[in-house]
Amino acid sequence: MVRSLEHLPEEIIHLILCASHPRSAAALEQTSHRFQNVTNEPLLWRHYCHVHYKSWDKKHNIPQRLSDPVSSVDWKTLFTLRFRADQSVSRLLDSILASQTGRIEKFRSVIDFGFDAKDTLVRHSRVESGEDHLARRYYARALLTCLHRSIAIPEWAKLRRGEPVSIDRAMAAFDLFIPETGFGDLDEVRVILDGIIARFRALHPNIDSLRPRAKALALASWLQENDFTGMDPERQYHSLEHNFLGLALRSPGHNSLPLVSAVIYCYAAQNLQLDARPCGFPFHVHVIISPPSGLDMNGSTFCGEGPSAPMYLDPFRGARETPVSDLRDQLVFLGATDAEQAEFLGESPLAQIILRCSKNILNSIHSVSHIPESHGTSVDVVSAKYAALWSSMLLSGESRPMDLRHQLPWLMELFATDFPSDIFLIEQHIVPLFEGLFEHEHILESLHVMRAVDEIPKQVHRRSNGKKDIRYKVGQVFQHRRYHYRAIITGWDSECGAEEQWMRRMGIDRLQAGRHQSFYHVLVEDRSVRYVAEENIELIVPEMTDLPQSLTMIAGKHFKRWDGITHTFVSNVRDEYPDD
Amino acid sequence: MANITLTSSDGVDVTVERTVADRSVLIKNMLEDLGETGESIPIPNVNEAVLKKVIEWCDHHKNDPPSAGDDDDNRRKTTDIDEWDQKFMQVDQEMLFEVILAANYLDIKALLDVGCKTVANMIKGKSPEEIRKTFNIQNDFTPEEEDQIRRENEWAEDR
Repeated sequence: MVRSLEHLPEEIIHLILCASHPRSAAALEQTSHRFQNVTNEPLLWRHYCHVHYKSWDKKHNIPQRLSDPVSSVDWKTLFTLRFRADQSVSRLLDSILASQTGRIEKFRSVIDFGFDAKDTLVRHSRVESGEDHLARRYYARALLTCLHRSIAIPEWAKLRRGEPVSIDRAMAAFDLFIPETGFGDLDEVRVILDGIIARFRALHPNIDSLRPRAKALALASWLQENDFTGMDPERQYHSLEHNFLGLALRSPGHNSLPLVSAVIYCYAAQNLQLDARPCGFPFHVHVIISPPSGLDMNGSTFCGEGPSAPMYLDPFRGARETPVSDLRDQLVFLGATDAEQAEFLGESPLAQIILRCSKNILNSIHSVSHIPESHGTSVDVVSAKYAALWSSMLLSGESRPMDLRHQLPWLMELFATDFPSDIFLIEQHIVPLFEGLFEHEHILESLHVMRAVDEIPKQVHRRSNGKKDIRYKVGQVFQHRRYHYRAIITGWDSECGAEEQWMRRMGIDRLQAGRHQSFYHVLVEDRSVRYVAEENIELIVPEMTDLPQSLTMIAGKHFKRWDGITHTFVSNVRDEYPDD
Repeated sequence: MANITLTSSDGVDVTVERTVADRSVLIKNMLEDLGETGESIPIPNVNEAVLKKVIEWCDHHKNDPPSAGDDDDNRRKTTDIDEWDQKFMQVDQEMLFEVILAANYLDIKALLDVGCKTVANMIKGKSPEEIRKTFNIQNDFTPEEEDQIRRENEWAEDR
């Protein structure tokens, strides 16, 4: 009979350890010599690595190591390394939540862990309860998306430097800005695309024997029939989600704008050895397919002058070849010169396609804002705009400093209000763009101020007896008496603390109580931040479920949780407002 | 369906329904290979008490759908043991280990899992000293060795 754990065979103890937390293995190892071998089995620690951590930083080269012989990798050390990273990221996040001071350096430390921070952040971004779960979710999510952007942005930077970048990765970079897409890595989009190609190939076993033209048309028609390209006519053409490659691939109807449809087509066609690229035709991106050298599109030997004529396709509309004469007619109608015609009918450099996508996104945001209550979109507008501004800043090209200048203030404002954890991305990628330009000093100065402000403890606002009454508190929810929007109070001044110019512009002295009443910093349901006079505040006592999700999501920036008894948010800025 | 007779290591015949016996992949394969001869099947590694305990489990789980395979995600939920199984496993350590060994020998994966998880839960959250106490393990390390191993495993103390 087996009297004790010690007498069980190694294979059973291995199974028990596999069902245990790695901490148990570490504890069991310390009990006696008997357990030293089994608790140090590389196979066991590989199992722990695999089961406990989904995301690993690229530096560990996990896919390679998983295929290496198990004993050639020190899996236990790898696990402890990763475990420690997990603990460190959790502690950094706790510390970010605990104080408003010194957050920038802590953000940086988290991001420096690379993808080793990801599982930890995902875990915290999903907490449903707990003393500070709103704040925890907010900051974990902010860091997670920052991590994603730190993968996306270098891809565009590479493109800017003229290094080779594949079309799917450059496009997937947009998806990484949008948390709702669920994409966490550039390769994930490629996996979907490759899956589509595999399906197509399985159904068309003879595709490689077709002539180029027939092949190109077969692909276009299959993609169209399976809704991978084009758009349901019932859909709002300019809807924001139609701009994102990954989102289009993953959503049920795969609705996408012509540009995205063309990218899907080109990626698949290139896989079939077709020389397909997006073409720079204005308003509606087409695809240009060039014949293989020495042949024409019908696969016959071509002995004329120069290359044989390419074919044009519009994957958005399906499997119809667009005669080049049609395209020319349209260009003539638009008044394009011969040189412009050549450019518009030629292939478009990838950087131009990305820039175009960026413009399309800004257009979509613009047109969405004109449709009242267009909540159909699943894409966060602020993140989309941020993605568009980043790509356009990076790819506008030095020849057009006006474009850069024009967009800089938008980008900087969005960064400062919504994405302050990106400061190192701005320093690394945006600052150099302005070298030698007038704005350079400006940006450096504002980044410097941001860091300085971050390092100084917040000025403490006490409700001392000497001061006059400040009626409302941080965390209360109100409706604006005049503009009717709902908002949360995030801070206050005993009287208007804005600049004279602002007060004049806003007509503060025309208020009943003028400038010498309390003023409140507030977070509005449309995500904006405003400064409101006390007389315009009308408190409401909503349930948390009455508030729009957009508001409760960002409430975590200042608040720990919702208090269902007082119907207010619980402050996480008590280092600034200790009495609220 | 027909009944099957199993003979325990201590020579006791136990009769079970075929569907119950089929929870054991070993017995199931044997019956498929040999056909139902009506003769009893010897189970040389399992005594009567343990065999009856195992059959009790198999009987309760005879209608379970086949397991989803041993992917890691299933195994990860270490503490998820259903209520009936938890009660079933409330036995002395000796019986627990015997059931685990029998499940391993008879190839009853789900029972082996429950057994391993039960032991895992007994180890969970305990210090080395507490584990020694729970399982009556002799500390055979020198103080130097002990100190060395403790330092190697310090990461696990970090909470």
